This record gives sequence, C-alpha cells and structure tokens, in this order.
Amino acid sequence: MLLHILKYKFLSFFKTTFDPRMVTAIRGIGSLLVFGGFGLVAYVGSYEMTRFIMEQTRIGLFLYHRFISMMLFVFFMAVNMGNIIVSYATLYKSAEVNFLFTKPVTFTQIFILKFLDNFLYSSSTLFLVAFMVLFGYGSYFGYPWYTFLGVLVGVLVPFMFLSACLAVLVLMSVMKVASRWGFRKVMVVIGSSYAAFVFLFFRFTNPIKLVNRVSMYYPNVDQYLVQFDPGFLKFLPNNWVADFLFFFAKGEPAMAMPFAALLLLVTAGMFVLCLFVAHRFYYRSWLVTFEVQASSNSVEAGRRIKRFDFRKESILPPQIESLLKKEYFTFFREPSQWIHLLLMAVLVVIFVLSVRNLNLGVRVTNIQAMTYLVLYAFGVFLSCSLALRFVFPSLSLEGTAFWSQRSSPLNLNKVYFLKFLIALALVMGLALLIAVASNIPFVALTERRPLLMYFGLFSAVWVSLSLVALNLGFGGYFSNFQEKNPIRIASSQGATLTFLLSLVYLITLVVIISVPLFRYFESLFLFLPFDFKIIVVPGTIFGMISAAVTGISVFIGMRSLQRDF
Amino acid sequence: MIELRHVTKKFGSFTAVDDLSLIIPDGEFFGFLGPNGAGKTTTIKMMAGLFSPTSGEIILSGFNTATQPIEAKMTVAYIPDQPFLYDKLTGREFMYFVGGLFKMRKKEIREKVDELIEHFEIGDWVDKRTEDYSQGMRQRTTIAAALIHEPKVMIIDEPMVGLDPKSAKIVRETLKQKSREGIVVFMSTHSLPVAEELCDRIGIINHGRLAFVGTRSDLAAYKQKFDGKFESVFLELTK
Repeated sequence: MLLHILKYKFLSFFKTTFDPRMVTAIRGIGSLLVFGGFGLVAYVGSYEMTRFIMEQTRIGLFLYHRFISMMLFVFFMAVNMGNIIVSYATLYKSAEVNFLFTKPVTFTQIFILKFLDNFLYSSSTLFLVAFMVLFGYGSYFGYPWYTFLGVLVGVLVPFMFLSACLAVLVLMSVMKVASRWGFRKVMVVIGSSYAAFVFLFFRFTNPIKLVNRVSMYYPNVDQYLVQFDPGFLKFLPNNWVADFLFFFAKGEPAMAMPFAALLLLVTAGMFVLCLFVAHRFYYRSWLVTFEVQASSNSVEAGRRIKRFDFRKESILPPQIESLLKKEYFTFFREPSQWIHLLLMAVLVVIFVLSVRNLNLGVRVTNIQAMTYLVLYAFGVFLSCSLALRFVFPSLSLEGTAFWSQRSSPLNLNKVYFLKFLIALALVMGLALLIAVASNIPFVALTERRPLLMYFGLFSAVWVSLSLVALNLGFGGYFSNFQEKNPIRIASSQGATLTFLLSLVYLITLVVIISVPLFRYFESLFLFLPFDFKIIVVPGTIFGMISAAVTGISVFIGMRSLQRDF
Repeated sequence: MIELRHVTKKFGSFTAVDDLSLIIPDGEFFGFLGPNGAGKTTTIKMMAGLFSPTSGEIILSGFNTATQPIEAKMTVAYIPDQPFLYDKLTGREFMYFVGGLFKMRKKEIREKVDELIEHFEIGDWVDKRTEDYSQGMRQRTTIAAALIHEPKVMIIDEPMVGLDPKSAKIVRETLKQKSREGIVVFMSTHSLPVAEELCDRIGIINHGRLAFVGTRSDLAAYKQKFDGKFESVFLELTK
C-alpha cells in the first residue's frame, strides 16, 4: 500500500517538475542556473574559508571542528524547530491526510508517508547546500571523490533525519498535552525550553575559554583535545558529526567510523521510536487538533466587540481598514504564523544581546574588518530569512478567497502596497535593531566616530526595502493560491530561488563594502587620514543595486496581480 | 445592463469562449447553461474581472470592464461556483470585510449585515470561523456578502450547489425578488428545472459558442420540435 501511494506521489512530482511547457522549461533553466551558481559559491566559500582558517589563522584541526560542531548544533536546532512547525501542517492539517484517513491505509503508513514527504520537501535545498559545503571542505583536506557522497548519505542525511524524528516526537507530545493544557501554553513552554537549551549550550561550551585553553597547546593544536569538552557534549549528535569529520580530516578514517556508526544507530532507533509512538498516538493526537480548533473557535463565537473588531469605527478609509484588519486576523489566528514569528523574534533578541556586549579587543585591521563583515552578513542573513518566511508567502496566503478582492472595486496596487508596507515595518524594524546592536561594539573601538553606525542605518533601510520588494514580488510571481500552509510556500522551489537571489544580493553588498571598510579600519588603527570620497562610489553602487532590486521586484510583483485568477 | 461584445478567451491554443455577444437588459433574469467545459465559468470570470478577455469588450451598467474596472465592479455582485472564504474570519467579519471593499460606511454595513443575517437565517453560526462551515453555510455567507452593497448586476455561478432545500428556496426567492427590483441577474446553472423556473431568458453555450438564446416562450416552442422536454433540447444542442 505504501509503495502504491508513493508511486503516485512520485508520478505527480515528476509530471509537475518536468512539465514540457515553455514557461516551465524557462523557469527550470533559470532555477538550474541560480541553484548551480549558488552551489558553486557554497563550494568556493567553504574551500576558501577552510583554507583561510587552516593556513592563515592556524587555529588547528581540533578548534576548527569544535566551531563546526557549534554550527552543526545551530543547524540541528534550526532543522528541528522548522520540522516541528512544518510537521504540524503536514501531519495534522493537510487535506491529503483527511483523504487517506478515509481509505484502508493504516495510521502508521500515513504517518510514514507524511513524515517522508515533509522531510524531503523541506530539506532538499539544505541537501544541496550541505553537499557543496562538504565538497569544498573535503576538497581542501583531499578527500577521495567517492567519500563525499558517502559522508552526505551516511552522516549528514542521518543527522538531519535524526533532527526531524526528534521534532515529530516533540510535536506528538505537544499534541497529546495540548488537549489538557491548551495549545498556546504548551507552545510557550516548548519555545522557552528550546531557547534555554540553546543558551545553556553556549554557556557551557564557552567558545572563548576553549580557544584560550587550546592555544596553550600551540603548535600542537591538531591533537584530539577532548579533555576540554564539557561532559554532556559527547551525547550530542552535532559532536559525533564534528568528531567524525575531525578524524577523517586527520587521515584516520578508522577512528571516524565509530562516530558515524553511533549516529546511524541512534537515528535508526529514533525512527523506530517515532513509528512506535505514531502507531499508538498519531490518530489520537490528530483528533486533538479538532478539539484545539474548537476551543480556539469559541474565542470568536462571542458577540462582544473587541480590539481591532471589524465592527469598530475607524479613521482609515474603508478599503484600507478592511484589508488591514483582514491581515491582522488571518495572521494572529494562524498558530504556525505567530509561533514562528515569536521564535524568530527570540533568535533576533539572542543575537542582539550577544552582539551588544561583544568585546572586540585588538586593534588589528584585518580582524576588525572581518568581524564587522561577518556580523553584517549575519544580520542581513537574518533579514533574508525573516523576509522569506513571512513576506514571500504573503500573496499566496490570500488563497482561493482572493476572488473577493479581485472582483471588488479595489485597485490591486493598493493591496500590493499595503502588504509591502506591513512587511517593511516588520523587516525594517528588526533590521534597524540588528544594525544598531551590531554597531554598538564598534562605537568604543572607533572612539565614538559615527560613520559605521550611519552606514548600518543606511544599509538597514536599503536592505529592508530590497528584501521586502524581492520576496513580495517573487512571492507574487510564484504565487500558489491553492497552498494554505505558509511554511510549504516558503520552502517551495520559487521560494528557494528567491532566497538564493537574496543571498546573491547579500554577497554583493559584502563585496561592495569590504574595500572601504578595510580602508576605514586601517586609517583608524594606523592613524592615517581617511578620505571620505572612498565611500561615495561604493555607497552609490550599493544604493543603485538596491534600488534596481526594489524596482524590478515591485514591477514583477504588480504584474503578477494582473494575471488571470 | 450587461453587454458582451464579441468576447473571446483563449488559453494558449485552446479557445474557451469564442466571439460571444449578448445584451441583457435591466431587470432580466438570464440563465446560462452548458455542459462541463463549455465556457460558462470562463465567461463569468471575465465578467467578474478575474480573467481578462483575449479580445472583445464587456460592459456592465454602462462601464467597460477593461477601461473602467473599478466603476464596473462597484455595481456588481459576484458569487463564485466555489464559495471560498477566509478560513480565519467569521462569516460576520467576512461580510464587514466585503462591505469595506465596496467603500461602505460602518453604519450602512452594520444595518445591511444585520438584515442579511436575518434574511438568510445564518445567525446561529455567523460568529464562528468559516473554516468550520459546511458547503451550504459557506454558500449562504457568500451570497449574503455579495448583496451587501446593493448591486445593480448579479453574476452567479452555480448558486444552488450544496444548499439544503430550505436554503435553496431562500436563495431562489431572493434572486427572483432582486430581478423584480430591476437588477440584472446572470446565473450559470446545470439545473434545467431551476433555469426554467427562474429565468426570463436562457442561453446555452457549447464549445465556447452560443448554441441557443431565447425567452421561456421561445424555449417552449423549441421544445415542441422534440419530445417537449427541456432535457432533450439541451442534449441535442450540446451534442
């Protein structure tokens, strides 16, 4: 039965993907070019970063792989949290599940189908990125060609699969408890626990202390200095992967294999546990969604007039008021929307708090300029993720009910710009906050010179405009009014393409600002005069590229609204 | 008044509506019939502004839908074949939302919503989210919302689908009443008895072209050429 259903799912997938029509072919070629380009950038970036760290900074194999472990931890948590939210939609809210429950298919089979669907659908881009990063990293260490595929399939995929299994287990537990405690309360508890876990991980791994300890062993920093690891680390899968890579890079594959075996064993065990729990609780927890929905529905059942109620008088023109209130209610009554926003807000707050108190120390041009660029790139990356998740799906989420606006006496540009402004307020607000926080550590370093802060604010405004325009415009171009799940829209092929374009934009900005930034720090630390003309040309190019991205995207987005509905 | 002038709609090489011309005066109840895929919904979607015609013109209440779309839509009530609503809004909220889109003042909306809730007997569940509505509940909410701004033209695609007998009766009587008040009603339906009962004039479309247009008496005369049944006429014209 499972194979029968899978056969038709694959048939449907291939027919959609390899549609012979010209438009689809052009889109496919465009996607291939962008994906290919991005893969190349990931490969070169990974190779060059590894080379820089191993040959320039000479921090040694152990420390490098401990940093990889930390990145893998963040990656694991991101995949995990993403899967909790996506699985809620695929396992509990999908129309396909409703259909399959009426057919002679067991609950466990339905669970396996939807779980794999979810995992493969939402992780396909991550596979590409992970493979190309691994390719770059492995090329530096001279891995034989066949090992790349082996490491991807035998280590990285199980690592992501483990994260997904854990996510589904958490989700089923949440659904079980939610019927007693209420969905919101349980989600707040889970969210807080995750935030606390991330905080404690970094508190106990303490990267600065680790660097100081390992530095004492210089130049023997390629040793396996496991005695500096806190005890709990050996139980975490990110560490198994990092240790596997460490021994592989060191040329001791025999030492690496036990870590891969442990990972595979735990992943298989976790999947079996998932199946067992699904066999017992999936159907029951699926029924809980109706209870949760019924209880949340009773909120609107009351007839008293509340805040933002449609019945309340407003000073705004009627069309704007209606659209605004509709946006407000459709967003805040959809748990996958506000919970995800809350999670991203927590991430931004963690970033802001960590960066604010950063002690930059040494007055070395290369180090400070690199630190600034890394912080800058990370800040823009956060904005890219935020825009992809909340702005890209915005037009598609109008859904099949969009007929009510398309057939009403409403100028659709109004709908577009209202969505644009709402998204801009969100993205720009957070971008400005990130910009201010990440410039605070440089205030003391630059003896209170305001140039970097001004640049941060200038950049935040342009980047927000461009990212909102790009995501809304391409979200319109790739709109899918049949899909109700915002996370699936944000992980569709069109969304991935848009995200890659955002990253190309981000890399372009980093390249543009790098030269004047190095010059600026050089002049500051070497007490040389700084010629402000140096920033005029890059600043103009920055503005022009951003304006072009904004203009072209707005044009594409508005044209998409004129299409037949 | 509704006027369609040589309207054609093509999807690639496929012609869904082919050189369709029609004039429907105020107060007329026009029934639009045809087999599946004949071009009924495409025609209706062009009139409602959801599709743009490949060629030809559509004039609603004197406004060209291509050059004066806002003015034209201001006069129209469109009821789609699938009553899709915003799942997270309640029925009442959806009606207020639509009222706002038609630039109505809050007081007007409030009065009209209360009147429509009572007329369509939807008070028991109108304050629940529409995601919990049945097909019939959604259909009644959609029809109620469409009437909120006192339209001059009603364009309706399959209004009786999913309605229970009582709801269907309310809808039939409402449409008849609106027609008597001078509103043009353009209704697509698969139900031949409904068309015969309600419509002043009937058009049958097949392969995107009008195969028959005539009043009820024209139809009655035409029926006599066959076995006196509308069904036989329909099947012959759409062969």
